[in-house]
Amino acid sequence: MLTDLYRQRALIGAFANRDFATRYRSSILGWAWSLIQPLAILVVFAAVFSLVFRIKAPDLGNGEGASYAAFLFTGLVTWNLFSGLLNLSMTQLKSNGELLKKVQFPAWAPILGASIVQLIQVLLELTVLVLMFLWLRNVGWTWIIAIPILIGTALFAQGIGLVLSIINARFGDVMYIVAVVLSALYFLTPVLYPISMVDGQNELLSLVVKLNPMSWYVQSMHDVMYSLIAPSAAVVVALLVGGFLTFWAGLAIFSRWSEDIGELL
Amino acid sequence: MSESTNVPVAVDMQGVGKRFKRNVDRRNSIKERIVRGRSRKPEDFWAVRGVSLQIPKGSVYGLIGHNGSGKSTLLKMIGGIYRPTEGSITSQGRVASLIELGAGFHPDMTGRENISLNGSILGMPKKEIQAVTDEIIDFSGLGDFINDPVKHYSSGMYVRLGFSVAVHMKPDVLLIDEVLAVGDEEFQRKCFDHLYALRRSGRTIIVVSHGLGQLEGLCDEIAWLEHGEMQEFGAPTTTIASYLRKVNSQEAARYPEVTAVRAEGEDARPGDQTLRVRTAAIVDVDGNPMNHAETGSTFQFRIGFTTSEPVLGPNVRIALQHESGPLVTMIGNHRLGFDLGTVSGDNVFDVALVDNPLLPGRYRVHIDVFDYTGSRLLDSWNDAVEFAVRSQSGEIGQGFVQLPAQFRLS
Repeated sequence: MLTDLYRQRALIGAFANRDFATRYRSSILGWAWSLIQPLAILVVFAAVFSLVFRIKAPDLGNGEGASYAAFLFTGLVTWNLFSGLLNLSMTQLKSNGELLKKVQFPAWAPILGASIVQLIQVLLELTVLVLMFLWLRNVGWTWIIAIPILIGTALFAQGIGLVLSIINARFGDVMYIVAVVLSALYFLTPVLYPISMVDGQNELLSLVVKLNPMSWYVQSMHDVMYSLIAPSAAVVVALLVGGFLTFWAGLAIFSRWSEDIGELL
Repeated sequence: MSESTNVPVAVDMQGVGKRFKRNVDRRNSIKERIVRGRSRKPEDFWAVRGVSLQIPKGSVYGLIGHNGSGKSTLLKMIGGIYRPTEGSITSQGRVASLIELGAGFHPDMTGRENISLNGSILGMPKKEIQAVTDEIIDFSGLGDFINDPVKHYSSGMYVRLGFSVAVHMKPDVLLIDEVLAVGDEEFQRKCFDHLYALRRSGRTIIVVSHGLGQLEGLCDEIAWLEHGEMQEFGAPTTTIASYLRKVNSQEAARYPEVTAVRAEGEDARPGDQTLRVRTAAIVDVDGNPMNHAETGSTFQFRIGFTTSEPVLGPNVRIALQHESGPLVTMIGNHRLGFDLGTVSGDNVFDVALVDNPLLPGRYRVHIDVFDYTGSRLLDSWNDAVEFAVRSQSGEIGQGFVQLPAQFRLS
């Protein structure tokens, strides 16, 4: 199954090419939008949550105080990777429906192609994040660990995205349910606040936040990028393997359920 | 085809069937699933059933049938878009469907970018795509427009590019669904030349079309499907003829009251009306009413009239006008040397058109009656009746008539 992915790399690449070339073709600022949007959200959130809600970020890894904006952006980049892949994957089968009804090719190809383009956007955001930390002089070797964490996040999101896309092709409601669940999950993940804030709060709430897999990915990113702490090797391996297994399972389920995609759409 | 033939088979279908669930009962939303539960009695129908067919390698195979007869479903199964519910399909080599031209085009991308995208979707390796890109551009005749976004293309340019990509990917089996009427006359000829070239190079072409005349010329063999089941397959001419016989008899059954009959009203018409035509109809050689004639088979005009006084040797002229306007011919009993004698009272006479030379189309009949001198108009009935001529063979022909010509080497 995974060898299929390799064999069809040209097709996935062709879809990625198409989505890359057409993503911002009709806008003047083009790819700049992929940064303007998250940065605008960052400014608004940083203002509201640090000035109005008075959320305190933990200290930076370099010991020179705290930066809520940098803390928030670390979480946002990780969260955007997850939700971006999920949302994009979910709509791909429908938007490529005419094609899937007429030509036979693996239905996951347009989904993965779209995801590759989404990853480019994530890379742009990451670059800004790195520049931000360089400016704050908050640099550490632990940054390297961000690579397996982010790969794990992407695989985890893609696995879920594949399954949701095929369910969404059959039941159009799924898109709306996912939108609700995602926005709830967003607040149940320590993006806007440090995970220490849920300690000693409502036990159920604290449990939910800690069991939420996205908390693990986001928290680990906070550790390695912001606090410059290395999480235990077991955690990193768990995040990577967990992501890989989710992707593998998602692809297996997708392949099985998409056999009749031509008549489903 | 029995299995003893030695021709290699490109596509082998054994008892192929496809069952669809009826759309009316599809529980498409989760709410419906919860409220009404799983569909208890899904109303299934078989779009294709029990089709066994071996398509020889290097042949052009046609599929004909009514709308909804299952031919497109069968094509989609060969193309791998649908899985057969029962039976099996095995094809040799790369199968490409030319089912909808330009289905994978992105409007914002240029023609050139779309060639590369479409080629990948159709399963062509990147190197091969690059190798044939210039050939594709050349074949499509788009010239400099190839670097414009396809959203600025005319519909003709769009399909020309789609066709060019599909036929240049050199599939072993090419599936074509109703896309032969592409572009202008010149481009169509190019397409057919290319299809013939593909066939010469040993590739198999399976084509679904309603253009029977086109298929007759193109195909080596034709299969006729009806309600998802195979009716007949074999030589194009015989299969098309059986299909058309069925279509013609169904049309006759659907309109039990014969349409090609007309009884006149009491409207005022030119002529002194000493002889007045009352009815006009087309009938077969035994006098049974028909609703259409067939090219090559004898039929008759049956004309009923009444006279107010005996008329000596009337001169009846029947003018046939083609639906597109031109007068095709005028048939007159005097010119042909038939004397009707003196007629009186209520009467009927038949005019037989032996081995009907009219080609398929609709014809209007005008009837003029003069006295034996040909100078006094007795009656003139414009648009007395209108009738259709259908073809038995699928041949449409050129012009209006097929003259009984003979060819001989001298």
